[in-house]
Amino acid sequence: MQSKHTLSVMRRDRTGTRYARRERQAGRLPAVLYGHGKDPVALTLDAKEAVRLFESGERVFTVQVKDEGASQTVMLKDVQFDYLGTNVVHVDLSRVDLDEIVECHPELHFVGEPIGLKAAGAILTHPSLDVTLKCTVANMPERLDVDISQLDEDDVLHASQIALPEGTELVSDPDAVVAAIRAKKMEEDLDAEAQDVDGVGAEPEVITERKTEEESEG
Amino acid sequence: MPRMPKRVKFRKEMRRVRERKATKGNFVAYGEYGLQALEGCWLTARQIEAGRIAAQHFLKRQGKVYIRVFPDKPVSKKPLEQRMGKGKADVDYWAARVKPGTMLFEIAGVPEDIAKRTLVRIAMKMPVRCRFVGRRLHV
Repeated sequence: MQSKHTLSVMRRDRTGTRYARRERQAGRLPAVLYGHGKDPVALTLDAKEAVRLFESGERVFTVQVKDEGASQTVMLKDVQFDYLGTNVVHVDLSRVDLDEIVECHPELHFVGEPIGLKAAGAILTHPSLDVTLKCTVANMPERLDVDISQLDEDDVLHASQIALPEGTELVSDPDAVVAAIRAKKMEEDLDAEAQDVDGVGAEPEVITERKTEEESEG
Repeated sequence: MPRMPKRVKFRKEMRRVRERKATKGNFVAYGEYGLQALEGCWLTARQIEAGRIAAQHFLKRQGKVYIRVFPDKPVSKKPLEQRMGKGKADVDYWAARVKPGTMLFEIAGVPEDIAKRTLVRIAMKMPVRCRFVGRRLHV
Protein backbone atom coordinates (compact mmCIF):
# COMPACT_ATOMS: atom_id res chain seq x y z
CA MET A 1 0.00 0.00 0.00
CA GLN A 2 1.26 3.46 -0.87
CA SER A 3 0.16 6.74 0.66
CA LYS A 4 -1.35 7.82 -2.64
CA HIS A 5 -4.25 9.78 -1.16
CA THR A 6 -3.79 13.21 0.27
CA LEU A 7 -6.07 14.33 3.07
CA SER A 8 -6.85 18.00 3.17
CA VAL A 9 -6.28 19.05 6.78
CA MET A 10 -6.59 22.28 8.72
CA ARG A 11 -5.15 23.08 12.12
CA ARG A 12 -7.66 23.34 14.96
CA ASP A 13 -6.74 26.19 17.29
CA ARG A 14 -9.63 25.81 19.69
CA THR A 15 -10.34 22.38 21.10
CA GLY A 16 -13.14 21.01 23.25
CA THR A 17 -16.64 19.63 22.88
CA ARG A 18 -18.35 22.82 21.77
CA TYR A 19 -15.74 23.76 19.15
CA ALA A 20 -15.59 20.18 17.87
CA ARG A 21 -19.37 20.18 17.53
CA ARG A 22 -19.25 23.40 15.53
CA GLU A 23 -16.62 21.89 13.22
CA ARG A 24 -18.86 18.86 12.61
CA GLN A 25 -21.81 21.11 11.82
CA ALA A 26 -19.61 22.88 9.26
CA GLY A 27 -18.84 19.55 7.53
CA ARG A 28 -15.39 19.11 9.09
CA LEU A 29 -14.21 16.07 11.05
CA PRO A 30 -12.11 16.67 14.19
CA ALA A 31 -8.88 14.68 14.29
CA VAL A 32 -5.60 14.46 16.18
CA LEU A 33 -2.16 13.77 14.76
CA TYR A 34 0.54 12.29 17.01
CA GLY A 35 3.62 10.06 17.01
CA HIS A 36 7.37 10.08 16.32
CA GLY A 37 8.06 11.98 19.56
CA LYS A 38 6.54 15.22 18.29
CA ASP A 39 3.78 17.19 19.95
CA PRO A 40 0.22 16.18 19.09
CA VAL A 41 -1.60 18.49 16.71
CA ALA A 42 -5.36 19.02 16.68
CA LEU A 43 -6.69 18.99 13.11
CA THR A 44 -9.87 18.91 11.12
CA LEU A 45 -10.50 16.95 7.93
CA ASP A 46 -13.11 17.27 5.24
CA ALA A 47 -15.69 14.86 6.71
CA LYS A 48 -17.19 13.58 3.45
CA GLU A 49 -13.87 13.02 1.73
CA ALA A 50 -12.26 11.38 4.77
CA VAL A 51 -15.11 8.96 5.51
CA ARG A 52 -15.32 8.01 1.82
CA LEU A 53 -11.62 7.13 1.82
CA PHE A 54 -11.82 5.22 5.11
CA GLU A 55 -14.79 3.21 3.85
CA SER A 56 -12.95 2.33 0.65
CA GLY A 57 -10.27 0.68 2.81
CA GLU A 58 -7.54 3.36 2.68
CA ARG A 59 -5.50 3.55 5.88
CA VAL A 60 -2.33 5.45 4.91
CA PHE A 61 -2.40 9.04 3.69
CA THR A 62 -0.25 12.05 3.04
CA VAL A 63 -1.03 15.24 4.93
CA GLN A 64 0.42 18.72 4.78
CA VAL A 65 0.07 20.45 8.13
CA LYS A 66 0.66 24.20 8.26
CA ASP A 67 3.85 25.13 10.22
CA GLU A 68 5.08 21.49 10.21
CA GLY A 69 7.30 21.63 7.15
CA ALA A 70 7.14 19.00 4.43
CA SER A 71 4.19 16.67 3.90
CA GLN A 72 4.01 13.69 6.25
CA THR A 73 2.81 10.13 5.90
CA VAL A 74 0.12 9.27 8.43
CA MET A 75 -1.78 6.13 9.32
CA LEU A 76 -5.38 5.91 10.50
CA LYS A 77 -5.04 4.67 14.07
CA ASP A 78 -8.49 4.90 15.61
CA VAL A 79 -12.01 6.03 14.83
CA GLN A 80 -14.66 7.21 17.30
CA PHE A 81 -18.35 6.85 16.60
CA ASP A 82 -21.45 8.54 17.97
CA TYR A 83 -23.97 6.74 20.18
CA LEU A 84 -25.65 5.15 17.16
CA GLY A 85 -22.33 3.57 16.29
CA THR A 86 -22.33 4.59 12.62
CA ASN A 87 -21.37 8.26 12.32
CA VAL A 88 -17.67 9.02 12.67
CA VAL A 89 -17.11 11.87 15.15
CA HIS A 90 -13.32 11.85 15.58
CA VAL A 91 -10.24 10.12 14.14
CA ASP A 92 -6.72 9.51 15.39
CA LEU A 93 -3.87 9.78 12.89
CA SER A 94 -0.37 8.53 13.65
CA ARG A 95 2.84 9.77 12.00
CA VAL A 96 4.59 6.85 10.25
CA ASP A 97 7.33 6.11 7.73
CA LEU A 98 6.62 3.83 4.81
CA ASP A 99 9.35 1.40 5.93
CA GLU A 100 8.29 1.46 9.57
CA ILE A 101 6.97 -1.79 11.07
CA VAL A 102 3.50 -1.36 12.52
CA GLU A 103 0.65 -3.53 13.75
CA CYS A 104 -2.50 -3.45 11.66
CA HIS A 105 -5.90 -5.13 11.82
CA PRO A 106 -7.08 -5.86 8.27
CA GLU A 107 -10.68 -6.97 7.93
CA LEU A 108 -11.29 -10.55 6.83
CA HIS A 109 -13.12 -10.91 3.53
CA PHE A 110 -14.49 -14.41 2.98
CA VAL A 111 -14.32 -15.67 -0.60
CA GLY A 112 -16.16 -18.67 -2.02
CA GLU A 113 -19.21 -20.72 -1.13
CA PRO A 114 -18.33 -23.36 1.51
CA ILE A 115 -19.18 -26.99 0.68
CA GLY A 116 -20.58 -27.53 4.16
CA LEU A 117 -23.23 -24.82 3.73
CA LYS A 118 -25.18 -27.07 1.35
CA ALA A 119 -26.22 -29.28 4.29
CA ALA A 120 -29.59 -28.42 5.83
CA GLY A 121 -29.30 -26.18 8.87
CA ALA A 122 -25.59 -25.47 8.43
CA ILE A 123 -24.49 -21.88 8.99
CA LEU A 124 -21.21 -20.04 8.62
CA THR A 125 -20.02 -18.34 11.79
CA HIS A 126 -17.04 -16.00 11.98
CA PRO A 127 -16.13 -15.14 15.57
CA SER A 128 -13.21 -12.89 14.54
CA LEU A 129 -13.72 -9.99 12.19
CA ASP A 130 -10.01 -9.31 11.82
CA VAL A 131 -6.51 -10.55 12.62
CA THR A 132 -3.53 -8.58 13.88
CA LEU A 133 -0.54 -8.46 11.53
CA LYS A 134 2.93 -6.98 11.82
CA CYS A 135 4.22 -5.45 8.59
CA THR A 136 5.75 -2.35 7.10
CA VAL A 137 3.42 0.50 6.30
CA ALA A 138 4.16 0.05 2.60
CA ASN A 139 3.05 -3.61 2.76
CA MET A 140 -0.06 -3.03 4.82
CA PRO A 141 -2.99 -4.92 3.27
CA GLU A 142 -6.35 -3.15 2.99
CA ARG A 143 -8.15 -6.43 3.71
CA LEU A 144 -7.41 -10.15 3.77
CA ASP A 145 -9.15 -12.44 1.31
CA VAL A 146 -9.85 -15.77 3.00
CA ASP A 147 -10.84 -18.73 0.84
CA ILE A 148 -13.53 -20.73 2.62
CA SER A 149 -14.76 -22.76 -0.35
CA GLN A 150 -13.20 -25.98 1.04
CA LEU A 151 -14.84 -25.70 4.48
CA ASP A 152 -17.04 -28.71 5.14
CA GLU A 153 -19.62 -29.27 7.86
CA ASP A 154 -18.12 -28.91 11.38
CA ASP A 155 -14.84 -27.66 9.85
CA VAL A 156 -13.02 -24.81 11.53
CA LEU A 157 -10.61 -22.32 9.96
CA HIS A 158 -7.92 -20.98 12.30
CA ALA A 159 -5.98 -17.73 11.97
CA SER A 160 -2.79 -19.69 11.21
CA GLN A 161 -4.44 -21.20 8.11
CA ILE A 162 -4.97 -17.83 6.41
CA ALA A 163 -2.67 -17.17 3.46
CA LEU A 164 -0.88 -13.96 4.43
CA PRO A 165 0.56 -11.50 1.91
CA GLU A 166 4.34 -11.34 1.53
CA GLY A 167 6.15 -9.31 4.18
CA THR A 168 3.47 -9.71 6.84
CA GLU A 169 3.61 -11.68 10.07
CA LEU A 170 0.69 -12.93 12.18
CA VAL A 171 0.63 -11.43 15.68
CA SER A 172 -2.80 -12.50 16.93
CA ASP A 173 -3.40 -15.98 18.38
CA PRO A 174 -2.74 -18.54 15.59
CA ASP A 175 -5.38 -20.87 17.08
CA ALA A 176 -8.10 -18.22 17.02
CA VAL A 177 -11.16 -19.39 15.05
CA VAL A 178 -11.90 -17.10 12.12
CA ALA A 179 -14.62 -19.14 10.39
CA ALA A 180 -16.55 -22.30 11.16
CA ILE A 181 -19.45 -24.23 9.69
CA ARG A 182 -21.84 -25.21 12.45
CA ALA A 183 -24.98 -27.33 12.24
CA LYS A 184 -27.92 -25.40 13.66
CA LYS A 185 -29.84 -27.16 16.44
CA MET A 186 -33.31 -28.46 15.69
CA GLU A 187 -36.20 -26.33 16.99
CA GLU A 188 -37.39 -29.17 19.25
CA ASP A 189 -33.96 -29.29 20.93
CA LEU A 190 -34.03 -25.54 21.48
CA ASP A 191 -37.51 -25.68 23.00
CA ALA A 192 -36.48 -28.53 25.31
CA GLU A 193 -33.41 -26.55 26.37
CA ALA A 194 -35.50 -23.48 27.05
CA GLN A 195 -37.85 -25.51 29.26
CA ASP A 196 -34.91 -26.92 31.17
CA VAL A 197 -33.57 -23.44 31.87
CA ASP A 198 -36.73 -21.73 32.99
CA GLY A 199 -40.16 -23.15 33.57
CA VAL A 200 -43.39 -21.20 34.00
CA GLY A 201 -43.35 -19.06 37.14
CA ALA A 202 -39.74 -19.97 37.89
CA GLU A 203 -37.88 -17.51 40.09
CA PRO A 204 -34.15 -16.87 40.10
CA GLU A 205 -32.07 -17.99 43.04
CA VAL A 206 -31.21 -15.07 45.37
CA ILE A 207 -27.57 -15.43 46.39
CA THR A 208 -27.58 -13.03 49.36
CA GLU A 209 -30.79 -14.48 50.81
CA ARG A 210 -29.34 -17.99 50.99
CA LYS A 211 -26.22 -16.64 52.71
CA THR A 212 -28.25 -14.97 55.46
CA GLU A 213 -30.16 -18.21 56.07
CA GLU A 214 -26.91 -20.13 56.45
CA GLU A 215 -25.56 -17.50 58.82
CA SER A 216 -28.69 -17.60 60.96
CA GLU A 217 -28.42 -21.41 61.20
CA GLY A 218 -24.75 -21.22 62.18
CA MET B 1 -40.30 -19.21 27.49
CA PRO B 2 -39.44 -15.64 28.50
CA ARG B 3 -35.87 -15.26 29.69
CA MET B 4 -34.74 -14.30 33.20
CA PRO B 5 -31.53 -14.61 35.20
CA LYS B 6 -30.69 -17.92 36.87
CA ARG B 7 -29.49 -16.27 40.04
CA VAL B 8 -29.51 -12.70 41.34
CA LYS B 9 -27.92 -10.90 44.23
CA PHE B 10 -31.11 -9.11 45.27
CA ARG B 11 -34.73 -10.01 44.59
CA LYS B 12 -35.89 -6.44 43.82
CA GLU B 13 -34.17 -3.39 42.41
CA MET B 14 -34.64 0.39 42.23
CA ARG B 15 -35.84 1.97 39.01
CA ARG B 16 -32.66 3.99 38.24
CA VAL B 17 -31.99 6.58 35.53
CA ARG B 18 -33.29 5.88 32.03
CA GLU B 19 -32.25 8.94 30.01
CA ARG B 20 -28.83 8.02 28.67
CA LYS B 21 -27.44 7.07 25.28
CA ALA B 22 -25.77 3.74 24.53
CA THR B 23 -21.98 3.76 24.71
CA LYS B 24 -21.53 0.02 24.34
CA GLY B 25 -23.47 -2.70 22.60
CA ASN B 26 -24.34 -0.14 19.92
CA PHE B 27 -22.87 -1.80 16.82
CA VAL B 28 -23.20 -5.06 14.91
CA ALA B 29 -20.69 -7.36 16.58
CA TYR B 30 -21.72 -10.97 15.91
CA GLY B 31 -23.92 -11.07 12.84
CA GLU B 32 -23.95 -9.21 9.55
CA TYR B 33 -27.05 -7.06 10.05
CA GLY B 34 -28.75 -5.76 13.16
CA LEU B 35 -31.82 -4.08 14.59
CA GLN B 36 -30.92 -0.97 16.55
CA ALA B 37 -33.20 0.84 19.02
CA LEU B 38 -33.51 4.57 18.41
CA GLU B 39 -35.31 5.23 21.68
CA GLY B 40 -34.87 4.04 25.23
CA CYS B 41 -37.21 1.65 27.02
CA TRP B 42 -37.45 -1.28 29.37
CA LEU B 43 -37.79 -4.16 26.96
CA THR B 44 -39.73 -6.91 28.68
CA ALA B 45 -38.76 -10.56 28.47
CA ARG B 46 -42.05 -11.24 26.67
CA GLN B 47 -41.30 -8.65 23.99
CA ILE B 48 -37.84 -10.16 23.43
CA GLU B 49 -39.39 -13.61 23.18
CA ALA B 50 -42.04 -12.32 20.75
CA GLY B 51 -39.26 -10.95 18.55
CA ARG B 52 -37.34 -14.21 18.67
CA ILE B 53 -40.42 -16.24 17.73
CA ALA B 54 -41.29 -13.84 14.88
CA ALA B 55 -37.77 -14.28 13.50
CA GLN B 56 -37.77 -18.05 13.94
CA HIS B 57 -41.12 -18.44 12.15
CA PHE B 58 -40.01 -16.30 9.22
CA LEU B 59 -36.53 -17.75 8.84
CA LYS B 60 -37.53 -21.42 9.33
CA ARG B 61 -34.08 -22.99 9.67
CA GLN B 62 -32.05 -20.41 7.76
CA GLY B 63 -29.37 -18.21 9.30
CA LYS B 64 -28.74 -17.42 12.94
CA VAL B 65 -30.39 -14.79 15.13
CA TYR B 66 -28.40 -13.28 17.99
CA ILE B 67 -30.30 -11.64 20.85
CA ARG B 68 -28.11 -8.81 22.14
CA VAL B 69 -30.18 -7.80 25.17
CA PHE B 70 -30.99 -9.80 28.29
CA PRO B 71 -33.80 -9.02 30.75
CA ASP B 72 -31.90 -8.81 34.02
CA LYS B 73 -33.91 -6.03 35.67
CA PRO B 74 -36.78 -7.10 37.96
CA VAL B 75 -39.76 -4.74 37.74
CA SER B 76 -42.28 -4.88 40.58
CA LYS B 77 -45.94 -3.90 40.38
CA LYS B 78 -48.63 -3.56 43.01
CA PRO B 79 -51.87 -5.49 42.44
CA LEU B 80 -54.95 -3.60 41.18
CA GLU B 81 -57.01 -1.75 43.81
CA GLN B 82 -54.19 -2.10 46.33
CA ARG B 83 -53.69 0.86 48.69
CA MET B 84 -50.30 2.54 48.62
CA GLY B 85 -47.66 1.57 51.17
CA LYS B 86 -47.05 -1.79 52.87
CA GLY B 87 -43.63 -2.16 51.26
CA LYS B 88 -42.34 -2.85 47.76
CA ALA B 89 -44.55 -5.07 45.62
CA ASP B 90 -43.65 -8.44 44.14
CA VAL B 91 -41.72 -8.76 40.90
CA ASP B 92 -44.13 -8.58 37.96
CA TYR B 93 -41.79 -9.03 35.02
CA TRP B 94 -38.15 -8.91 33.95
CA ALA B 95 -36.87 -6.26 31.58
CA ALA B 96 -33.74 -5.30 29.66
CA ARG B 97 -32.58 -1.70 29.89
CA VAL B 98 -32.51 -0.35 26.35
CA LYS B 99 -30.88 2.98 25.60
CA PRO B 100 -31.03 4.85 22.30
CA GLY B 101 -28.50 3.08 20.07
CA THR B 102 -28.64 -0.34 21.74
CA MET B 103 -28.42 -3.24 19.30
CA LEU B 104 -31.40 -5.49 20.02
CA PHE B 105 -31.06 -8.34 17.54
CA GLU B 106 -28.47 -9.42 15.01
CA ILE B 107 -28.73 -11.83 12.14
CA ALA B 108 -26.13 -13.83 10.20
CA GLY B 109 -26.05 -16.31 7.37
CA VAL B 110 -28.85 -14.88 5.23
CA PRO B 111 -28.91 -12.40 2.31
CA GLU B 112 -29.59 -8.74 3.02
CA ASP B 113 -33.19 -8.73 1.76
CA ILE B 114 -34.19 -11.67 3.96
CA ALA B 115 -32.34 -10.16 6.94
CA LYS B 116 -34.22 -6.91 6.40
CA ARG B 117 -37.62 -8.59 6.16
CA THR B 118 -36.88 -10.62 9.30
CA LEU B 119 -35.74 -7.62 11.32
CA VAL B 120 -38.78 -5.60 10.19
CA ARG B 121 -40.98 -8.36 11.63
CA ILE B 122 -39.04 -8.24 14.88
CA ALA B 123 -39.27 -4.43 14.92
CA MET B 124 -43.07 -4.69 14.83
CA LYS B 125 -42.92 -6.52 18.18
CA MET B 126 -40.70 -3.87 19.76
CA PRO B 127 -42.10 -0.99 21.82
CA VAL B 128 -39.61 1.54 20.37
CA ARG B 129 -38.59 2.91 16.98
CA CYS B 130 -35.84 0.78 15.47
CA ARG B 131 -33.64 0.84 12.39
CA PHE B 132 -31.90 -1.73 10.22
CA VAL B 133 -28.10 -1.46 10.24
CA GLY B 134 -25.15 -3.30 8.75
CA ARG B 135 -21.56 -3.61 9.89
CA ARG B 136 -19.82 -0.32 10.58
CA LEU B 137 -16.44 0.98 9.41
CA HIS B 138 -13.68 -1.30 10.63
CA VAL B 139 -10.22 0.02 11.57
